[in-house]
Amino acid sequence: MIGKLIRTDFMKIRRKGIWFLTVLGPFGVVALQMVNYGLRKDWFIQQDIYSWFYYIRNVIAFTPFALILGIVILTSFMASIENETNAWKQVIALPVTKWGVYLSKYTTLAILLVVSTCLLTLFSLGFGMFLGLDGGIPYLDLIKYCFYTFFASLPVLGLQLWVALVSKNQGIPITLGIFGVILSYMAYFLPDWLIWKWPSLDNQWDEPIINVCLGLAVGLAIYLVGMIDFMRRDVK
Amino acid sequence: MEYIVETNKLTKRFGKEYAVEAVDLRIPKGEIYGFLGPNGAGKTTTIRMLLGLMEPTLGNIKVFGKDLKRERIGILKKVGSLVENPSYYPHLTAYENLETIRKIYGVPKKRIADVLEIVRLSEVTNKKVKGFSLGMKQRLGIASSLLNKPELLILDEPTNGLDPSGIIEIRNLIKRLSKEEGMTILISSHLLSEIDQIADHVGVISKGKMIFQDTIDVMRRQSQKKISLKVNDYERANRILISNGMKADFSIDSITLPEHHDEDIANIVRVLVENNISVYRIEEEKRSLESTFLQMTAEERGL
Ligand SMILES: Nc1ncnc2c1ncn2[C@@H]1O[C@H](COP(=O)(O)OP(=O)(O)OP(=O)(O)O)[C@@H](O)[C@H]1O
Ligand SMILES: [Mg+2]
Repeated sequence: MIGKLIRTDFMKIRRKGIWFLTVLGPFGVVALQMVNYGLRKDWFIQQDIYSWFYYIRNVIAFTPFALILGIVILTSFMASIENETNAWKQVIALPVTKWGVYLSKYTTLAILLVVSTCLLTLFSLGFGMFLGLDGGIPYLDLIKYCFYTFFASLPVLGLQLWVALVSKNQGIPITLGIFGVILSYMAYFLPDWLIWKWPSLDNQWDEPIINVCLGLAVGLAIYLVGMIDFMRRDVK
Repeated sequence: MEYIVETNKLTKRFGKEYAVEAVDLRIPKGEIYGFLGPNGAGKTTTIRMLLGLMEPTLGNIKVFGKDLKRERIGILKKVGSLVENPSYYPHLTAYENLETIRKIYGVPKKRIADVLEIVRLSEVTNKKVKGFSLGMKQRLGIASSLLNKPELLILDEPTNGLDPSGIIEIRNLIKRLSKEEGMTILISSHLLSEIDQIADHVGVISKGKMIFQDTIDVMRRQSQKKISLKVNDYERANRILISNGMKADFSIDSITLPEHHDEDIANIVRVLVENNISVYRIEEEKRSLESTFLQMTAEERGL
């Protein structure tokens, strides 16, 4: 049943510009580095930081912002598809479970974000190779950091999807989303317990893996709370 | 009788308001059931509960003899529905809209062309629904409700937004589905005229309560002519008629006779006159089905 639901969810996002955003996001992040390295290449070389290590750090610095923004936009698009003509009553009257419907929405978004993350890895790798950075190519680090950011942002995905799917007024998730984007932009100044800080992979112990574990655990918890809330609500 | 839908004290409360109160819906197999009630009576709320969209506050629902709460998915596989305004995805074509539903049911792709043909939308198969007229969207909604060849079809005001020829067309379609496919059909409306030509059974709901449920023939019989008498002393007249074993409905200021065999009327009048009751008027009241319906719902509203 879940497989069928996911396939219908992918049908429903056609012509909504969702795939375009999925590609635009990672491209934008790498494009920023194009500008950065285009303008400051000599300075990087001078400072002796024209290396893969610093390049990956630069890419990762802008990823949380783009990722949170992407999550906010995609979740609200996803909710708008069903909310627009209140198609919920049609979907839930089909022989499907409500938790299945919720899981399918979540999975569809997660797949889109994984595609984005893979593209980010590829684009970063491509541009890094083009730059001819110093040292060997740290494939593993590149993949690791891109996906770490994704896993650490799962709580935000769970929260945005929950609020977007149960709010009649889409102003609520959008407002929450804008706050989130701003918070993620100021991640450095945030306390460690705020979920919007986690995608920055920054914490007082300097262990990014902590953010990943928290992201997975709290992400799952928020997902479950959202799903249970969605299940017990009446469909109008 | 075998009932396809059977509810027991079905109740839904929103805050302090009872939108549906202790409704015992009985929809017999293979029949067209007209669910009538004025705006805000609780039709849509009842239908939402039948589809598992809303949790009843109290009471239970059996569909195909199975408990809806426990076997919702199995039941919904054999139910088609259109609730309130049609839902659709405007950025998708008619075909794609139906495909999102067909995938879930797992019926053959050919079925999409079939249902589009049934509601006469074949020509716009590959057009985006965004540009459809209200009537076309309504038809598309009906088409989606037919995709799984349901055994129970639930249509909430399906002729909303249709022009007169569209209404007749949908009415004929419903009759055909009932006759040819043997579907059990629940169709709600706030207009009696919409369903009195097709429904076998009617349920009348007003302010959340079921105030009449029987065959349309029984409803017709209730609406037939009545004779009312105006006399000088109702109390004595009542006693006289009762002691003579005559059937009549009494109230403080009228006597109405449900039967109207001429002979019965003559007898009653003779008895009254012989007992020195002055009969002022003998009137024949004609009521249409529509006015019976109006009166039923008006009484409930305390008008
Ligand atoms: N989600 C809700 N929250 C609060 N009240 C509701 C809700 N849904 C319906 N109601 C109330 O329940 C009552 C019945 O509404 P319902 O939509 O079932 O009527 P209806 O018979 O379908 O009317 P109509 O002919 O206008 O479609 C109304 O008074 C309505 O205001
Ligand atoms: Mg209604």
